[in-house]
Amino acid sequence: MADLEAAKINHDNHLLLDQPCLRLPYELLRKNFRSVHYPFEWDSTSVKNVVKETANGLISGKATPQDAVKNLDQMLVKMRGLKRKLTAAAEEEDRLYRQMSSRVTHLHELADLNTVDDVRYEAWSRQRLDRLLVDYMLRHGYDSSAMALADERKMRDLVDIDTFVAMSKIRKSLEGGSVQEALTWCNENKKELRKMQSNLEFLLRCQQYIEMMRTDSPIKMAEAIHHAKKYITPFTDTYPVEISNMAGLLAYRPETISEPYASLYSASRWQRLADTFVEAHLKLLGLPMTPLLHIALSSGLSALKTPACHSTQLQVPSQPEESQPVNGTATTTAAADSSDTPTAVPHHHHGTASLTTRVCPICSTELNALARSVRYAHHGKSRLLEQDLVLLPNGRVYGKARLEEYAAKSGLPAGQIKDLVTGEVFSGEEGRKVFVT
Amino acid sequence: MEAKHRLESLLDELSKASSLPRLSSAVSDVDQVIELLSDARERIAGAMDPHTASLNMTKLQNPIKFAFGKINDDLKAASSSHKKVGRSLDKHFPLKQLPTDDDGMEDRLPLINRAIAMHLLREGQFTVASTFINEVQTKTPPAPPSTFSEPMDEDDDEDEGEDEDEDEEAAETHTNTNGSPVAPDDDDYDLSSLHSQELQDKFAEMYTILQQLKAQNLLPAIEWARSNSAELEARGSNLEFELSKLQYVWLFKGPSVNNLPDDEHNGRPGALAYARQHFGRFQARHLREIRQLAAAMVFAPNLPDSPYHMTFAAISTAFTDVAASFTREFCSLLGLSAESPLYLAVTAGALALPRLMKFMLATRSKGTEWTTAQELPFETPLPESMLFHSIFVCPVSKEQTTEDNPPMVIPCGHMLARETLQKLCKGNRFKCPYCPSEGLFKDARRVVL
Repeated sequence: MADLEAAKINHDNHLLLDQPCLRLPYELLRKNFRSVHYPFEWDSTSVKNVVKETANGLISGKATPQDAVKNLDQMLVKMRGLKRKLTAAAEEEDRLYRQMSSRVTHLHELADLNTVDDVRYEAWSRQRLDRLLVDYMLRHGYDSSAMALADERKMRDLVDIDTFVAMSKIRKSLEGGSVQEALTWCNENKKELRKMQSNLEFLLRCQQYIEMMRTDSPIKMAEAIHHAKKYITPFTDTYPVEISNMAGLLAYRPETISEPYASLYSASRWQRLADTFVEAHLKLLGLPMTPLLHIALSSGLSALKTPACHSTQLQVPSQPEESQPVNGTATTTAAADSSDTPTAVPHHHHGTASLTTRVCPICSTELNALARSVRYAHHGKSRLLEQDLVLLPNGRVYGKARLEEYAAKSGLPAGQIKDLVTGEVFSGEEGRKVFVT
Repeated sequence: MEAKHRLESLLDELSKASSLPRLSSAVSDVDQVIELLSDARERIAGAMDPHTASLNMTKLQNPIKFAFGKINDDLKAASSSHKKVGRSLDKHFPLKQLPTDDDGMEDRLPLINRAIAMHLLREGQFTVASTFINEVQTKTPPAPPSTFSEPMDEDDDEDEGEDEDEDEEAAETHTNTNGSPVAPDDDDYDLSSLHSQELQDKFAEMYTILQQLKAQNLLPAIEWARSNSAELEARGSNLEFELSKLQYVWLFKGPSVNNLPDDEHNGRPGALAYARQHFGRFQARHLREIRQLAAAMVFAPNLPDSPYHMTFAAISTAFTDVAASFTREFCSLLGLSAESPLYLAVTAGALALPRLMKFMLATRSKGTEWTTAQELPFETPLPESMLFHSIFVCPVSKEQTTEDNPPMVIPCGHMLARETLQKLCKGNRFKCPYCPSEGLFKDARRVVL
């Protein structure tokens, strides 16, 4: 049956949301390695050269033993510094490998499963939800929540708190009007940023220039021109328009209303810088631009949603006036988003909200409003929750077995049936068979 | 199963990676360079004559070169371990671009935040929930919602009694400043903000009762069921009776099993007294079961061989069962699904995502766009357990019935969509496409599935 097919886990496709979970430790391993590789190359050539030069100097008599000791001391400082960096990087590497093996164990649990009906799948999927929640919280800067959840669920190694906390620190500094942290970051990742043609550094340099222009002091303006010569004009070929705008800025004061200079002076540029930074940061680490939870939700809400989930037609016209506690009250046929949707009443107003059927997650208060504007799932054939459908005189249709069960539970005399939603009682003969082809 | 193999070999290769060479070996080799340098320094500083100095410095060159070569090898080895990991990932887990169109989720952050807060509450994560609510509140929402500014000093902020109302208000302002709220969302928002503190209390109540159930104390659950008996009955739930029945069985088992004090309120006399006191109200609906429970008294010495064996044997599953149905009923009365909607939606999302991506790839290559406004243009099959409404697809038009095009039953008992029926009509009459009978349009009845 199609259902069994749907319950099967396709291991190739099931981990789409979990790609960053394995990819990020790898990207961080590389990044961490680069962070020591360049200093090492630099220091090793320099030490080797100094040793050689000092030796030559001593032979030729240009250098004294005092010079040699001084040079050796400097080299020792350098090497101790390198050792510190290497030790830190080695520790970070150990941590990343440990993280990776925790993740491998976590994903192995899924590899052992074949169907989503396996009880162990729920536990796994719950943990995935927790991971996605932490990802969402971190990306929106809810760091303490993310840490609290990760600690509560004991899954620090499955989530990337440090990476995102470092990211939000820089983002926050940009939002607060400081470029220094972001520039340092640009410097650390120069090569990669150049490879992905990021304009972040250029924008930051421009911002520095704009800030100097903002002050009225001639000294600062001279400084700004100097700054532009050093950091901005090298980009002439890449960003000619922007650079001429920068030059034009010299003629305009911050109070100007003429564009583009007014928006260059605008404070909202900081927010855009922060966004650009976040984008570059995510791209550099190969992380998706949107929180994974958004992706999962937009696909999941649609897949679960049915036309019934936001229906306002709660009762059929032939319905008697009596209103039941499990039932909504509005009978309007207005558009689904009409404001008189009975939000105070629980949302399970569809026909089958009781007895052994569960409340639908889309109808549930948590997601109802969120799912309102997403598309509903497409179905090529009918999928009925029940067999042997019986039509009651009031137009409602239920499975025969459930009607009988409810009648028995309600203590009705034999031969009578009761509507599971409206509570109306009918004689058994009034129910008609319905055929769904 | 090929896919599974691929995942397994990826995971195997990755777990092997942790035994590959690491950077840590480079650290000890740096020590060697330091040692060489400081030895040379000692000797030169000790003698302080040009000859010793030049001799030592010259002699230093090769060992230094060699030591650096070793560090370089270490680094190379560590780097090749990384590359191995990268190759495994590329080979067995090639990166697939995730969809960037998230259906406007970005504009509805307040609603997502609320869903998360409710999820945390219903999972019993009250501390995390209040941290989260606090943090959402303290964000000053800037223009693009993706970039909240973020106070870092919030770690100590974990008031248990935090009020969610403020959260909703804060988020509400957010919606407004954001400039793209959907009007009815605001309504929902307002209403739920009134109830959310209540909601937290409710979930706290649920957890207390569940904990008691886990500790095999049925009384709080029974009390809850009794005070909500009207609603429960309207839902067709027997929870109250099921709980009372289990209480009877539990007492019946006596102190050796239930560890309750051995007095007249326990054991078979206790059970009997309990039944006398409480079963009266269930008489109309559950007389048969009550009779069985009472008759079990007679068979007490030899219960395992009696017809009542089943009722009394599976006591621990009975407790898990009532706990599950208690959770279901409790959530249902709040208008909430028993399973966390967020959990279901995300799980369904993971299951449906491959289809979405396949579709996006196909449309992108053809340059076509989504055409249907309300319905997804492709199927996203979900397992049975994720089906909550009956879906009727008209067998003629192949369209899903909706409010505007509802399912109709025609006199022969076949079901069709209304638009189909209208098209089938010649005048007022139509012939059923599935059987020889004919009918009048006015005899067709709209049905609610």
